[in-house]
Amino acid sequence: MISKSIRIAADSVCDLPAELVDLLGVHIIPTYVNIGGESIADDGRQLNRARFYRELPTMESQPTTAAPSPGDAAAFYREILAAGADEIISIHVPEKLSATLNAMRLGAEAVDRNRITLVDSLQLAFGMGLQVWAAAELAMRGADRDSILAAIESVRRHTRVYAIIESMEYLRRSGRVNALAASLGGMLRIKPVINVADGEVTSIGRLRTWARAERRLRELTREQAPLDRLAILHVANRSGAERFLASIQDIAPSDTLVIETTPTIGTHIGPGSIGVATLSSNWRQ
Amino acid sequence: MFGAGVKGLSDNVALINELNVFPVPDGDTGINLYHTLRRAWQEIATIDEDAVCVVAERFAYGALMGARGNSGTIMSQLLTGFADGLAEAPVLTAPLLIDACQSAVARAYAAVSEPVEGTILTVAREARDSLSAEMSLDGMLASLVDAARTSLNNTPNLLRLLKDAGVVDAGGMGLLCFLQGIERQHCTDSPDIHLSAVSEIKRPLLPSPAAEVYGYDVQFLMMGELMDVDSVREEMERLGWSVIVVGDSSAIKVHVHVDNPALPLDYAVKAGAALTDVVIENMQLQAVDFAMRQEQLAYDIGVPAISVIAVVEGEGMQGIFRDLNCASIIAGGAGENPSTEDFVGAIERAQAQSIIILPNHKDVVQAAEQAAKLQTDKRVRVVPTRTMLQGISAMVAFGDASDKNLGFDAMVAVMEAACASVTTIQITRATRSARLNGLDIRRNDFIALIDGEIRVVGTDIDSALRDSLLLTGINDKELVTLYCGADFDITSASELIESLLMTIKGIEFEVVYGGQALYPLLVSIE
Repeated sequence: MISKSIRIAADSVCDLPAELVDLLGVHIIPTYVNIGGESIADDGRQLNRARFYRELPTMESQPTTAAPSPGDAAAFYREILAAGADEIISIHVPEKLSATLNAMRLGAEAVDRNRITLVDSLQLAFGMGLQVWAAAELAMRGADRDSILAAIESVRRHTRVYAIIESMEYLRRSGRVNALAASLGGMLRIKPVINVADGEVTSIGRLRTWARAERRLRELTREQAPLDRLAILHVANRSGAERFLASIQDIAPSDTLVIETTPTIGTHIGPGSIGVATLSSNWRQ
Repeated sequence: MFGAGVKGLSDNVALINELNVFPVPDGDTGINLYHTLRRAWQEIATIDEDAVCVVAERFAYGALMGARGNSGTIMSQLLTGFADGLAEAPVLTAPLLIDACQSAVARAYAAVSEPVEGTILTVAREARDSLSAEMSLDGMLASLVDAARTSLNNTPNLLRLLKDAGVVDAGGMGLLCFLQGIERQHCTDSPDIHLSAVSEIKRPLLPSPAAEVYGYDVQFLMMGELMDVDSVREEMERLGWSVIVVGDSSAIKVHVHVDNPALPLDYAVKAGAALTDVVIENMQLQAVDFAMRQEQLAYDIGVPAISVIAVVEGEGMQGIFRDLNCASIIAGGAGENPSTEDFVGAIERAQAQSIIILPNHKDVVQAAEQAAKLQTDKRVRVVPTRTMLQGISAMVAFGDASDKNLGFDAMVAVMEAACASVTTIQITRATRSARLNGLDIRRNDFIALIDGEIRVVGTDIDSALRDSLLLTGINDKELVTLYCGADFDITSASELIESLLMTIKGIEFEVVYGGQALYPLLVSIE
């Protein structure tokens, strides 16, 4: 019996670099950034991330972020199925934080609900990307749906996503994760260390200086070694991300990525921030 | 008809944004609904087609393609259901409108995995429920608007979050604006409105208690003859912001936010109108009220496991301690040392069973320890901070340790350690001449105490600060924070930093208002 062709889909919050998207044959649906009266797709063409972050500090009004529409989702799925896929596994930003999954579900219902499996990644940025990467590799090798879903689940359990927020300004302005922003105060420039897990963003540390926060981030990253995969994430701070990578070079896998994270997240945590997405080696066990 | 609905919404984007607190209080419901409906409008703007079923279907398709955010998605489902309910009908009739509304609400509810009442869903459902078969089409449109308004006003009773924030549901408001636009246009039988692009929508930043200028919320009804709605709106937009002006030549409802409430009223009276229903509210007070309710809400979440009581002098300093989640502040410090009894009272009032006291002054440590010994039913420990800056370091560590869920003893230990990780400089003026630590001090000289010891003397504050920074060896340090005293303004401190940056490189400076007496500058180095 010929195995079914399964394609992996995700939204652009997953931060998978364009080369990997092509190599793995993953389908990415863009989320949107609203700037003033304009709604711009984060598809690598309409929105230039580097330029967006350069301009973010001086924008007159705080940009907001938005999910794709159910219509976008239906068109997206239709195209993948038309290209010959038998099934789609579609991995997304947490339902607790975004309307994306709901839109994707409505889109899937309009197309063919039985051939599309929706997954709440419960992660953000490359924390999602790690699930997409692993799923796509298995799909390319012809794995069936259940084993791909099991792998996604295992990757999720062995993934950690931490970040240092450079300035609380953006989190406060954005209004997302409000309880977090409120608890962190704002009269002194505290550098919070945040953790993304189970679809939530929580503070796991508050340090008075960047160097102390970076030391904390390094400790947290080292706790996850040995690593199968690693990405250093940043918002308009490539040099900071590369310096951080150099300081943990001994545990970094050779294919470690340095990624400028999606504006869907960067808008809320602001320029200067850096973070990590780790996948521990024991996820395959 | 749909165009008028979109116009009704786009005129109110800013207002709807401001209402947005559920499910995510990010103030973007208005703009998301606007994007959704603008896309829908584009779909029908150019078609040459009169059959209502086709127009509705195209409009719904556009909304579906353009849907943004939760409210936008639900709106797109309402419109899709509406179009489905019209089936193949070429002309909208009263019985058809009932079917279409039934179908719209059913579709919208089905689209949400866990429907929440008190939202746009409730407003849509109750509007639909108001329709009955004997109504005319005009009567139905009016009924939809009335019922939507009633339902919207009731949303705070259904959703606690709205009530606490003192707002109605933003998405529901969006639906009402849309329906109102349709009804107004249908009943006046005016030609379909040309929808001009909303070029610039500024999203209001969420109120931050410190910086915002709130002004007044002014509302009134102008009664008169041959009044011009557009010119009233233009004038209001010139005078203030968040402008809503609706009505006709004989009655105009005005809503505007202004710094001076007299100006819009003055304009209206001079325009020859009689004014009724005048409401003026001070938004500053509303914001304070809002902040207090938020605070109350925070306390409702649960009793903290560990509370900190700190002795703090200076309003800026007290603000900083509160900001760092200090549960109770006893005002006092040099010359005004709180008594043991003050501590006992604060301990009794504290909600938590485990309490940490920060005396923040060497002369206060003893009274705090005395109070800690007297207590039996609560666990009380004193972290013997000798300055407020040590106290702030301890508070930062408290926040960090709370995130990590450290236990009581571990918490006390990290707070004690944090005090040691910061060097403090206190700069003040000598009250008399003296020779101390090998320094010749004249009256009115600036003297700097480094970790409590007089180490530097200077004739001006600049040199006292520079010399003490150099003396502490700041090469491996990262951050110098200046806390300005009550009689030392922040501008002078910023100028001071600019001159320091000429000689001291590679270190970050931060200036905050402390408001403490006696010390024009308190400085921490870490």
